[in-house]
Amino acid sequence: MKIIVLNCGSSSIKYQLFDMPSQQVIAKGLVDKIGLKGSLIDHEREDGAHAILEGEILDHKQGIEYVLGVLLSEKYGSIKELEEIDAVGHRVVHGGERYGESVRINESVTNTLEEMIDLAPLHNPPNLDGINAITELLPEVPQVGVFDTAFHQTMPKHSFLYGIPYSLYKKHGVRRYGFHGSSHKFVSKKAAEFLNKPMSELNIITCHLGNGASIAAIQKGKSIDTSMGMTPIEGLIMGTRSGDLDIGALFHIIKKEKIDLATANTLINKHSGMLGISGVSSDMRDIEKAAEEGNERAQCSLKMYQYRIKKYIGSYAAAMGGVDTIVFTGGIGENDWLTRQNSVQGLEFMGVELDKSKNTGMRGKTMDISTDSSKVKILVIPTNEELVIASDTFEILDKGLDKL
Amino acid sequence: MKERLEDFSLGKKMIKQGGLQKIGVVGAGSTGKEIVRLVARKGIEAVFVDISEERVQEVMKLLNEQLDTKINRWGLTEGEKRAMLSRIHGSADYSILKGCNIVIEAINSKKPGTSLEERKKVFQKIEAVVSPETTIASNTATLMISEISSVLKHKERAIGLHFILPIDHVKVVEVVKTVSTSDPTINCISKFLKMTERQMVEVQESPGNINTRIMVPLINEACAILLEGVADVAQIDKTIKSSTGLLNGPFEMADTIGLDKVLKWMENLYREFGEIRFKPSPFIKRLVRAGMLGRRVGEGFYLYKDGKRIQKKGNILHLGRSI
Repeated sequence: MKIIVLNCGSSSIKYQLFDMPSQQVIAKGLVDKIGLKGSLIDHEREDGAHAILEGEILDHKQGIEYVLGVLLSEKYGSIKELEEIDAVGHRVVHGGERYGESVRINESVTNTLEEMIDLAPLHNPPNLDGINAITELLPEVPQVGVFDTAFHQTMPKHSFLYGIPYSLYKKHGVRRYGFHGSSHKFVSKKAAEFLNKPMSELNIITCHLGNGASIAAIQKGKSIDTSMGMTPIEGLIMGTRSGDLDIGALFHIIKKEKIDLATANTLINKHSGMLGISGVSSDMRDIEKAAEEGNERAQCSLKMYQYRIKKYIGSYAAAMGGVDTIVFTGGIGENDWLTRQNSVQGLEFMGVELDKSKNTGMRGKTMDISTDSSKVKILVIPTNEELVIASDTFEILDKGLDKL
Repeated sequence: MKERLEDFSLGKKMIKQGGLQKIGVVGAGSTGKEIVRLVARKGIEAVFVDISEERVQEVMKLLNEQLDTKINRWGLTEGEKRAMLSRIHGSADYSILKGCNIVIEAINSKKPGTSLEERKKVFQKIEAVVSPETTIASNTATLMISEISSVLKHKERAIGLHFILPIDHVKVVEVVKTVSTSDPTINCISKFLKMTERQMVEVQESPGNINTRIMVPLINEACAILLEGVADVAQIDKTIKSSTGLLNGPFEMADTIGLDKVLKWMENLYREFGEIRFKPSPFIKRLVRAGMLGRRVGEGFYLYKDGKRIQKKGNILHLGRSI
């Protein structure tokens, strides 16, 4: 079964063509600068054939139309006719409370997604554009929506509610939803496989550390808490996002800096986090280099970043009554040994012991980096959100789950 | 290895949705610059025409400074600034407007009296270089679009597009149709406002539209209160702001707009309606003659130092000078 996975952002589309269930990636690429000057498609086929195609791409529909054109083309293509495409899986950022699992998309699903635009005004509209484009271009092909929030819908009320009037939850859906669900789900499942233990016996803490970052507490395979909240701002310190912040401090900033809400939003989302603290960059590699050269703010930002992770690990261990394994994933989690080392340093009291040489010596593959005697296993597992989307799409269609 | 994307289109005809690619502005004064910034921020190419290449360089420098201020005030990132500036180009030559979907006239005439004839000339120069489909808009609030566009060959493409300062904050734009304005022209402007996240308020052609027609008597009446010695400048501003929720009081507003511009508005409206409430207050005329044009020159109803507004110490009836 050939499945296209689409991740539509505000001005870009990431795509991969999978063969399922073999999980083979036949082609992948990026449509960039949609609706802007200099729009292009960067396409790569499994045999290494690579092309950058430039031209005018006015909207998502046109972008997807070109992607299909490239996939069909003699020179860079992988399929002979559009009928070979069996399904399309979409990443949808916010599924609200309605979607705790991936779903086959139909009119009532798109209507619900439209009603939920308020919850993710930046992310859901381009996701919907992608769905509508496929509906128009490939009307016969089934589509599946895979939600970033879905995996965390198992959180109990006491962990997802905020300490504000209950009526606001009822009226506007103000609660914690969590994100990166596909990634937390994927690496926790892989961890259980790696440890050769059933999910039902494991308490797992997964740390997805990329440009955005979140931690999840996964008990018996279910997310019971996660660090991101109603929006992806809450929780860990990120590249340019603040993470946890006293709301009173934000009121004070708005008053003192005389800024409006839109500007405050930019301040918290784009000027804050590692960039704002270090003043160097939002890229961990640049910050670590500056810290090595003696930049004190860079050093301080790293300590803050690692300390915040450690605090969450501790609190989630408490929430679950213990932890069996801690998983690192995402660009930083997979590649940055220093962050891993310092985030678990001092947790020996609860049975977390890092093997420093294993930790520094690894890159890009699944590995156990704890000592043999460590009660808690520390794992590094590369994430693959696209594969989760392809797998869910395959599963729903293959088993005819949508027809039950 | 770069190839043309068009060669990879599907068999079906690609449907162009007619997104706007390039917007032109003639006259990069305070309003013109804000329009250019708004357009570039929304990912659209912005070109502007001003009177000389030196002036164009100065405008680019000012835009650069304004964007730096935005960054310092947390409203913009370095990356966004670079992207915006890469989309902005200026010239003293009207041919830069070729290929624009919309050209907006936003000139700021320094000469006393009406700028009607100057705006007509600008409209003609724009029409000479753009394609027949290009919408030509004027940012004037007090002059009639029908009169300005009377010089055009294609009058159906003319429309009034009045942005109200500060453009970053004011989300409504007054859109003025003439009897000749065509549906495609309206649709083009409606698309433009959607892309720039502004709301269209369609108004019938009438000098002053809504905003200017209400602001002018407000400023005039504030001057009357001041001249009668009822209260001072700051007291009047404070009372109006606090009681109505307006962002600026009448004097702050007048200083920000520029008193020369306010005077033109008043003269245009008075000429049109003959109503005493639009007749320029003699006090505004005195300030303009004294060169106290407002924030732009550092002095108007208030003094301006290092971007701060300061109350004048001397007797305001002597223009703030002590005698």
